[in-house]
Amino acid sequence: MILSAEFAWIIPGLAVIAFCITSLFGKNLPYKGIFLPIAAALLGFIFFCLIFVDFISTGFNPTSVSIDWIVIDNWSITWGFAIDEISILMLGLVTFISLLVQIYSVGYMSGDSRISWYFAVHALFAGAMLALVLADNLLFLYFCWELVGLGSYLLIGFWFEKKAASEAAKKAFITTRLGDVGLLIGIILLFKATGTFHIPSIIHAAQNGAIPESTLMWSSLLLFLGAMGKSAQFPFHVWLPDAMEGPTPVSALIHAATMVVAGVYLIARMLPFLEIVPGFLTLVATVGLFTFLFAGIIALVMTDIKKVLAYSTISHLGLMVLTLGAGGLAAAMFHLVVHGFSKALLFLGAGSVMHGMNGETDCWKMGGLRRNMSVTGVTFLVGCLSLAGIVPLSGFFSKDEMLLSIHEGLGPIFLFITLAGVFLSSLYMIRLFCVIFIGEPRSEGAKNSHESPRVMTYPLVILAVFGTVLGVLALPLPLGDFEGLGNFIDSKHHFHLSPWITPLSLLIALSGLVIGYMCYGYHKISHHLVALRFGYLYKLTVSKFYIDEIYQWIIDKIVLSAARFISIFDRVVVNDTGVDGIGVSVLLSAFKVRLIQTGKLYNYAAAMGIGIFFMAVMWILASN
Amino acid sequence: MEFLSFSNPAGLVALPILGCFILFFIPGHRANLVRWISTTIAFLVLIISFYFFLSFDHSEGGRQFIYEYEWLSLIGPWEESQRAISMSVGIDGIAATMVLLTGIVMFTGTVVSWNINVNNKDFFILYFLLLSGVFGVFITYDLFFFFFFYELSVLPMYLLIGKWGSSSKFSSFERTKEYSAMKLTLVLVAGSVLIWIAIIAMFVQSGTGSFHIDEIQKVIPDKFSSEFQSAFFLMLMIGFGILAGLWPFHTWSPDGHVAAPTAVSMVHAGVLMKLGAFGIIRVGMTLLPEGAQVWMPLLIGLGAVNVIYGALSAMGQTDLKYVIGYSSVSHMGYVLMGLGTLSLVGLNGAVLQMFSHGVMTALFFAVAGMIYERTHTRDSLVLSGLAQKMGIIAVLFTLAGLTSLGLPGLSGFAAELLIFIGIFQSYEIWGIILGSLAVIGAAITAVYILRLLSKVFFGLADDTLPEYLDSTPREKFAASILVIFIVLVGLWPFPFVKIIESGVEPILLQIVGAG
Repeated sequence: MILSAEFAWIIPGLAVIAFCITSLFGKNLPYKGIFLPIAAALLGFIFFCLIFVDFISTGFNPTSVSIDWIVIDNWSITWGFAIDEISILMLGLVTFISLLVQIYSVGYMSGDSRISWYFAVHALFAGAMLALVLADNLLFLYFCWELVGLGSYLLIGFWFEKKAASEAAKKAFITTRLGDVGLLIGIILLFKATGTFHIPSIIHAAQNGAIPESTLMWSSLLLFLGAMGKSAQFPFHVWLPDAMEGPTPVSALIHAATMVVAGVYLIARMLPFLEIVPGFLTLVATVGLFTFLFAGIIALVMTDIKKVLAYSTISHLGLMVLTLGAGGLAAAMFHLVVHGFSKALLFLGAGSVMHGMNGETDCWKMGGLRRNMSVTGVTFLVGCLSLAGIVPLSGFFSKDEMLLSIHEGLGPIFLFITLAGVFLSSLYMIRLFCVIFIGEPRSEGAKNSHESPRVMTYPLVILAVFGTVLGVLALPLPLGDFEGLGNFIDSKHHFHLSPWITPLSLLIALSGLVIGYMCYGYHKISHHLVALRFGYLYKLTVSKFYIDEIYQWIIDKIVLSAARFISIFDRVVVNDTGVDGIGVSVLLSAFKVRLIQTGKLYNYAAAMGIGIFFMAVMWILASN
Repeated sequence: MEFLSFSNPAGLVALPILGCFILFFIPGHRANLVRWISTTIAFLVLIISFYFFLSFDHSEGGRQFIYEYEWLSLIGPWEESQRAISMSVGIDGIAATMVLLTGIVMFTGTVVSWNINVNNKDFFILYFLLLSGVFGVFITYDLFFFFFFYELSVLPMYLLIGKWGSSSKFSSFERTKEYSAMKLTLVLVAGSVLIWIAIIAMFVQSGTGSFHIDEIQKVIPDKFSSEFQSAFFLMLMIGFGILAGLWPFHTWSPDGHVAAPTAVSMVHAGVLMKLGAFGIIRVGMTLLPEGAQVWMPLLIGLGAVNVIYGALSAMGQTDLKYVIGYSSVSHMGYVLMGLGTLSLVGLNGAVLQMFSHGVMTALFFAVAGMIYERTHTRDSLVLSGLAQKMGIIAVLFTLAGLTSLGLPGLSGFAAELLIFIGIFQSYEIWGIILGSLAVIGAAITAVYILRLLSKVFFGLADDTLPEYLDSTPREKFAASILVIFIVLVGLWPFPFVKIIESGVEPILLQIVGAG
């Protein structure tokens, strides 16, 4: 009994406290208060380790604590924390990555005038995500979900003087908010049907058939909509590539541990619920598969280092969603962690490259950086190969488990299409590496580039080491009753290899590497010719299939036009006609009626005569 | 001397009036003295309103701090009646929340109004008169005085806007402050006429010879037929609805907000619009429960129109204050929808939203005033990059904006969540449709708020504009009071919900009993 899992709420609590103090008083504290969020992250990680040890020693007993937030009549909304295998895994990922990213940021953000605000929001962002993974009810999850969105809004728009940054922040918030509308409606629908927000109770009710079928279908769809928004699944993916306008460590955090994996986490958490509606998981898988390929193709033609990585993230999130759609909970969560480490490594590496290149992000202006930036180069290569799925790096193991799950859950057709995505994945990864680090420098900046300070390279090395060895966890190691990470997450899961899928996928990944190297490293194949050969396709892909333009058109032509129409309608019809119209007609009729008062005696006499006549008629009629 | 007792709610009415008298004898050129006296009075009122909120015992519930002063006993057929018209005051859970809101907005509005240089003595006299009327409406249980205070809180507005307001002029249209003031007053008076007719009708129909709500309430089952109730509830609903910004009677409100000086906008959007919703509860639902049941679907429907229509209108505006004005129309739609659910959750949410929106919109208008004071424009097409020059003002505006779009952790979310739940549970299919519309309204709010933030505060600052001062300590002080309540309600709505529940529960039980 070192630190019981009941105290897990302290971890996000520390981050929130750090946020409050640093954001309010940061400027007056020594070092602008940046040590507070770092200390909170460090303590959070230590607490995680203690809780993890306790969790294992007490034998995987899911624990939960809760307090009432609102009580009305006989029901209440609670804030509850629960720990089980999935949340403890996420807890470890988030605390570790956010700690490394914060340390890295000390170097990357040094000299920025708003550094204390940066670190404060960083703590809020991580804290919200930590609370999210600990939440035991959907409403509290939504609460944190939105705060995560706020964190991303503030961090992406951190350099708000740049128009692009403030636009990207707005885009991220509004796009994910569209999904959140679905999520909130879905949550309240479930509440209407079951009277509770508590996740296990809802799943239990659904499994016992206590929820009407139509509610079940709609709420599954709406929850998935929320997850699609946050996890940047097609067609909600547009915000993620733009989100690179924030400082690069923020991108590392968003892509690896906090923001985007929330959607995958939600699907994983609600998987027993989502699988009840027949065929729903196939829909999930299809969305994931499409996103996997779609983003992979775009990643192949992007020239901005961060955009390649962003599309790669979208693609891999698609892969996780696809695996969840196949029912592969353990494999998807495993890949989430592995991808988190690799992507954090790649983004921090990209940050290091940009640091050495004075903020240049176009990879065609780089080249040959391995000479000046050896640490960054080697660690970057580890990240690339891991995501490409090359043995023995961790990405190989997670990819393999996912492919097996897809094959088991969805059959060979899905598997073969997925393998095409695997090929793309290794191709764009090696392309990125070759263009940046291999060959001759293609600009002055690339010649004069320099390696980053140690506070930035050490986190890279740590992440690279973890990215390498983490895969071993997939194996059933001789550690008591540990049967691999997959089995830890989902006791139904057991590690095994397939005699044909494993070699085939490795072969495909390697062929991607070879072709990519021939093309961008060894220059045996000209990618320019390929681009010319498929001119229209190339143009379409470089324009990201015009999705952004379509959205812009919808916003400009439909939403804003509707808003303009309503506001003019309000002014002209409701106000000027309805309100002023009544006023004017009263005024006009007053002018008309005034004319009756002519002041001429015979007019009044005539009126009196007519009046008397009618009264007489009425009197006679009434008396009969 | 029970009248002078601290726990007499009548003090909330008397103290601002006392302030008017004191200010009356201060020479007008001693502007600073006027400021200090006004601030002191407002501070005392704030303390008292706090006292009522904190010492309200929600476990006991009902009406507390009851005092009654006979004003007139009618002669004629009602001779035996002892309390024909009496100044009867008391505080229930709803009033406690509203009184606290009014205290907060009154004090912050006073602090913000320090910069008024033209006839500030007259300004504060009218301002206090207005607020004593507002307090009167919340605490009185006599329909005659209810109406009296209701009118008292509307009419000073005419002078406040007409004298200290500002006109707006755009390329396409022009709104003079005189026009806005006149429209506001006439439209609201039209609403008052409907209310007064309904009050007289209830007084006569009840046959009790008393304007006291309790006396009338006793005879509801005997004297008020279903037809009577539904006819006059509709009248009350429209009459009060006009003040609550009910669509399509809302156009007075954005124009009025924009033309009014900062503190008056704060009181107006923050508190005055709540009088309408409060009236529907206190007079409509309490005295005409069957009528409430008949017309509630319409109220939810119109509320949904308010939410969506107001949000889209706000998106189409370019003037900072017009955006906030239309957003008030949109947010009052949530209140109306919450009332329309006729459920404990929904009503609770509605009252909490009244409080939340009051504080939030006060902050909005306070900050918009600060910006206008510095830049002399409110046009979002002209302003840009203000965050670089006035960081704290930008943070405050962002906070208000985030509250407005329903960000969890800030007050708007807690209130709107309860309303959403109430709507979803109110009807089977329509509940889901209208509830979804309400949620979508919050998303549209996000769009126009973030667009505004991005246009006005972010991006590169225009270098041709002069250097602006960031907020002064006085402004920070006023804003931080509002921010504290926004965050408090957002993070820990528990005590608020408990107190409100004790107020709405008896009203709701009566309605359910009547049906």
